Amino acid sequence: MRSPRLQLIAGCLLTPLLAGCFSSSGGDSSSDSSGSGEGGRLSIALAFQPVENYSPYGEDAFTLSRLAVAEGLTRLDANGTAAPALAESWSSEQGGKSWVFKLRDAKFQDGTDVTAKAVATALAHAAEADPAPSAISGVKLTAEAVGDDQVKVTTADADPVLPLRLSNPALSVFAPKAYAEDGKVNVVGTGTGPFEITKTTGSTAVALDRFDDYWGGRAQASGIDAKFVTDGTARANALRTGDVDIAEALPVAQVASLDEKTVHEVNTARNASLYLNTQAGVFKDAGLRAAAREAIDTSVIAKGVYDGYAEPAKGLFGPALTWASGKRTEPTGRAKAADPKGKNITIATYNDRPELPEAAQVLQQQLEKAGFKVKLEVRAYARLESDLLAKKFDAAVAARNMMLDTGDPVTVLASDYTCDGSYNLSFLCDKNVDKLVAGAQSETDTAKRQDGAMRTEAAILGTDAVIPLVHQKIVTGIATSVHGAILDPYERQFVGTGTRS
Amino acid sequence: MLTAALVCGIGLLPWLSRTDPALTVLKARSAERAPTPETLRAIREQLGLEDGPLALLGHWLGGLLHGDAGRSWVSDTEVLSAVAQALGASLMLMAGSIVVTLLTVAAVCARTLRLGSRRKLVGRGPGGTGSAVLAALPEFLVASVLASVVGVQLGWLPALGWYGPQWMVLPSLALGLPAGAVLGRMLDDLLPAAFAEPWALAAVSRGIPPKSVARQALRRCVPGLLPNLGLFVVGLTGGSVAVEQIFDIPGLGRLTLRAALAQDLPVLQTGTLALVLLAALAALLARLGVRWLIGPALRDGALHSLHRPTPPAARVAPLVYGLLLAGVIACGLPRDPLALDTAAKLQAPSWAHPFGTDSLGRDVLARISHGALTTLGIAFAVSVAALVLGVLLGLLPRLSGPLVDTVNAVPPVLAALLVTGVAGSGPWTPAVAVAVVAWSPLAAHTSSLLRQERATLHLMATRALGAGPGHILRRELLPAVLPPVVRHALLRLPGIALALAALGFLGLGAQPPSPEWGLLLAENQPYVERAPWAVLAPAAVLALLGALAVTAAGGVRLPRLRRGNPPASAPPAQRTPQSPPEPDRPAVLASAASDSSPTDPR
Repeated sequence: MRSPRLQLIAGCLLTPLLAGCFSSSGGDSSSDSSGSGEGGRLSIALAFQPVENYSPYGEDAFTLSRLAVAEGLTRLDANGTAAPALAESWSSEQGGKSWVFKLRDAKFQDGTDVTAKAVATALAHAAEADPAPSAISGVKLTAEAVGDDQVKVTTADADPVLPLRLSNPALSVFAPKAYAEDGKVNVVGTGTGPFEITKTTGSTAVALDRFDDYWGGRAQASGIDAKFVTDGTARANALRTGDVDIAEALPVAQVASLDEKTVHEVNTARNASLYLNTQAGVFKDAGLRAAAREAIDTSVIAKGVYDGYAEPAKGLFGPALTWASGKRTEPTGRAKAADPKGKNITIATYNDRPELPEAAQVLQQQLEKAGFKVKLEVRAYARLESDLLAKKFDAAVAARNMMLDTGDPVTVLASDYTCDGSYNLSFLCDKNVDKLVAGAQSETDTAKRQDGAMRTEAAILGTDAVIPLVHQKIVTGIATSVHGAILDPYERQFVGTGTRS
Repeated sequence: MLTAALVCGIGLLPWLSRTDPALTVLKARSAERAPTPETLRAIREQLGLEDGPLALLGHWLGGLLHGDAGRSWVSDTEVLSAVAQALGASLMLMAGSIVVTLLTVAAVCARTLRLGSRRKLVGRGPGGTGSAVLAALPEFLVASVLASVVGVQLGWLPALGWYGPQWMVLPSLALGLPAGAVLGRMLDDLLPAAFAEPWALAAVSRGIPPKSVARQALRRCVPGLLPNLGLFVVGLTGGSVAVEQIFDIPGLGRLTLRAALAQDLPVLQTGTLALVLLAALAALLARLGVRWLIGPALRDGALHSLHRPTPPAARVAPLVYGLLLAGVIACGLPRDPLALDTAAKLQAPSWAHPFGTDSLGRDVLARISHGALTTLGIAFAVSVAALVLGVLLGLLPRLSGPLVDTVNAVPPVLAALLVTGVAGSGPWTPAVAVAVVAWSPLAAHTSSLLRQERATLHLMATRALGAGPGHILRRELLPAVLPPVVRHALLRLPGIALALAALGFLGLGAQPPSPEWGLLLAENQPYVERAPWAVLAPAAVLALLGALAVTAAGGVRLPRLRRGNPPASAPPAQRTPQSPPEPDRPAVLASAASDSSPTDPR
């Protein structure tokens, strides 16, 4: 019908067309391993796709921070305190209403200097973003340059945790040319971190090169090829086949199939908890809440569901927060357990994290043994939350990062357990808790805030509004050839200058 | 018209389901962000939600006329380029799986073609149970097994990503094998009838080489399958979420699923529109293909009903399968399907647990047998509803043709969301949501059979003898069309059971810890490598059900043959016609397999 030559020509013409239908693989990964004792390119699989096209004001900021592209004035160290990043040092003025940050000598990836003016511009843009980044939502923040190397950041009300807030990746600093008129931020080649983005491929991959003028020294890896792989099994497979050197956030179910030497675990500030609805339904009764607490054996969940990659919960703040266990006091004022008498309850949870429905089924059995009648409701989180916040369920199993946004323990307590809290899954409204939270919020000293947080924790647990189940660990798969990956309990860092393969 | 209605339906989705898009968009952007009124207000303003759905829809349509499909609500990037890229990947995947499908079809039919073209078919029983079993396997299972065995353990082919032709092999196999098994079985079912037609005998006796005879037989049988091949292509382009997920392919299925969950309307509308256009194109191609192959015969009414030379005898097979299934179920009934024992999780099969235990230490056998009644009951009810609807609408091809193409192009999750939006979420919502889509391949099947049947000689004769349209419909068309469609519906029973379970994550349908079969498969999928039995056992039972449905359909036919007395006017040669094309729509398997583990693990 058609001559072979025609077919050949058609084939040749089609080839480039078809090539467009594949993703390009990020970077020229193999060609670049230099022979001078320095590391080649790292290949990593990340779990969370960029959802807002690398906008630094949302969740993607964490990706930028984990890939060591962007930094802020401060960063969070292992103890949960603010440590120097772009700012060398800082001090507060006017009773905490304004803070002055002294900048270090650093360069943006576009070659320009990090000046006070540039930093003030960057912070001003972040403050104007709408919706505001969650770390500074509700804080009226202004920034101005003082001289060449100092930035003064002022807030409407005194803010003792401002240095902690500024450690949030959403407040990273980019070069002036990154900020477009329409409020968009171009993060390609404008950050200050040890790696700069050279190419993004939609939401499937990103390629980074080493930024040689990084203030903290040249990174050992010459570049990074990161893929975003949402499926946990697929990430584990990628590590096993050697497709990637590092795979983050491996699901517990896959860990057993990996080589033991590649499995690395670290405690996180993330808890799975059972939130009891204190305002509607069966668990309005504190006695029944106490009955539920007594019925639950958290070690079964830690061992049976999480395969030991979680610890039975001791309170709201887990072992990742090293300061917490020394300051813990016993919960006070707990009610006496009442008889459930076969009361019906509905427990809601979501299947975006596969362990939660399993944990809920274990809870179901334990609570039924104690005399409750339990129904489960499992959906995708996006389909669950509005019903959850509308108090439609008696209880909910949910995972929560206790160090979100600011890295300050009191902030999370305020949003999760006070009458005005915006994410109060227990709908707890307790005068004593509110008072303790307010007291802790006014403390400026980190240690005293932590004391206040632990006192509040005891009061919250005393109401039995929440039953912490486990402190989760995060499992990272790292090929044996890779050294220096950062296992950060706050999930903000991942690769650094010392990471190499 | 229909397309417009569909796009408008999507545009109204958040308002129908009373779910605030600002909230879902916020959660898609950042799962952990607290939905403060201030934040929601900012997003509403950003997206212009205050203007109401009609203004938004008008704006989007206005932009579309200029080739601008708007910007994604979640990521604020160009929708058109994102959808085009995803569609490209999906179409490549589809091309690959069509190749695999055709190869599988060839493998399944090879024996019949070889024997038939040499006239040695007489007396050989139909095979095909193996392919029926393969056809009942959910794709995500095939995909998981391929990825972990071929991709990881053997390391023969890359199992992750979408960077070039060698990355296409495994996903194409996962999609193409079950589909090819289904279509191949259908074709294999038809071929003996074609070989039994007078021309074939004449051709062979005149010494025409077997090759040509085989080619002509294919030409005679393929047209009946073409419309369903089209449906399969379109259904899988938008509905192969599970396979895309396992192999990390940036395809249209995942894009529309994410958009549907986040209520990212511009992306959802554009993606659906692309699928509907693709469906129209596929339908057109199928129609042209049919015309090219047997057009003149259709026009002139010069076809025969496709007869099997000898009706297959009632076989023992269904009895064996039925007893086996009943036996498994009976063995499990005395056991407790809900008793958890996490200390005994993922144990291999033993005397205490013949099918092993699942991830929470529950007895898999007990769960399978306790789930059987609800799973089969609801799936059967849905099948019957879909059958009735499909046949009725199939009788009106003018009305149902475009409707089939449109409905088939809608990603299953979107269909479920639309149904929930319109009907609210009650206990029957999931069944309705599945039935709303499930009738379409049956209708397509019915109308394609009708078309061929109307073009047969005996019908012309009946008409010439003065039979009215009512009589023809009752005595000629329906008896000819119903049996194969009924068998088709039976064959899809396992697929419907899976589709029902796939809606669970929307909060519809069975909820844990119910031992519903689809749920069993979905919740044990992550453990497929550590504890294969927890997935393979329910899959095997499902395959058994598939085999039972297929073989029993052969048996079901016998009483029909005896009852179906031909009207006096019909020439005796055209007794009850039988087994014309019996194509399936594997997309249902796909939609079932899809979404079992939606989106990110956030």
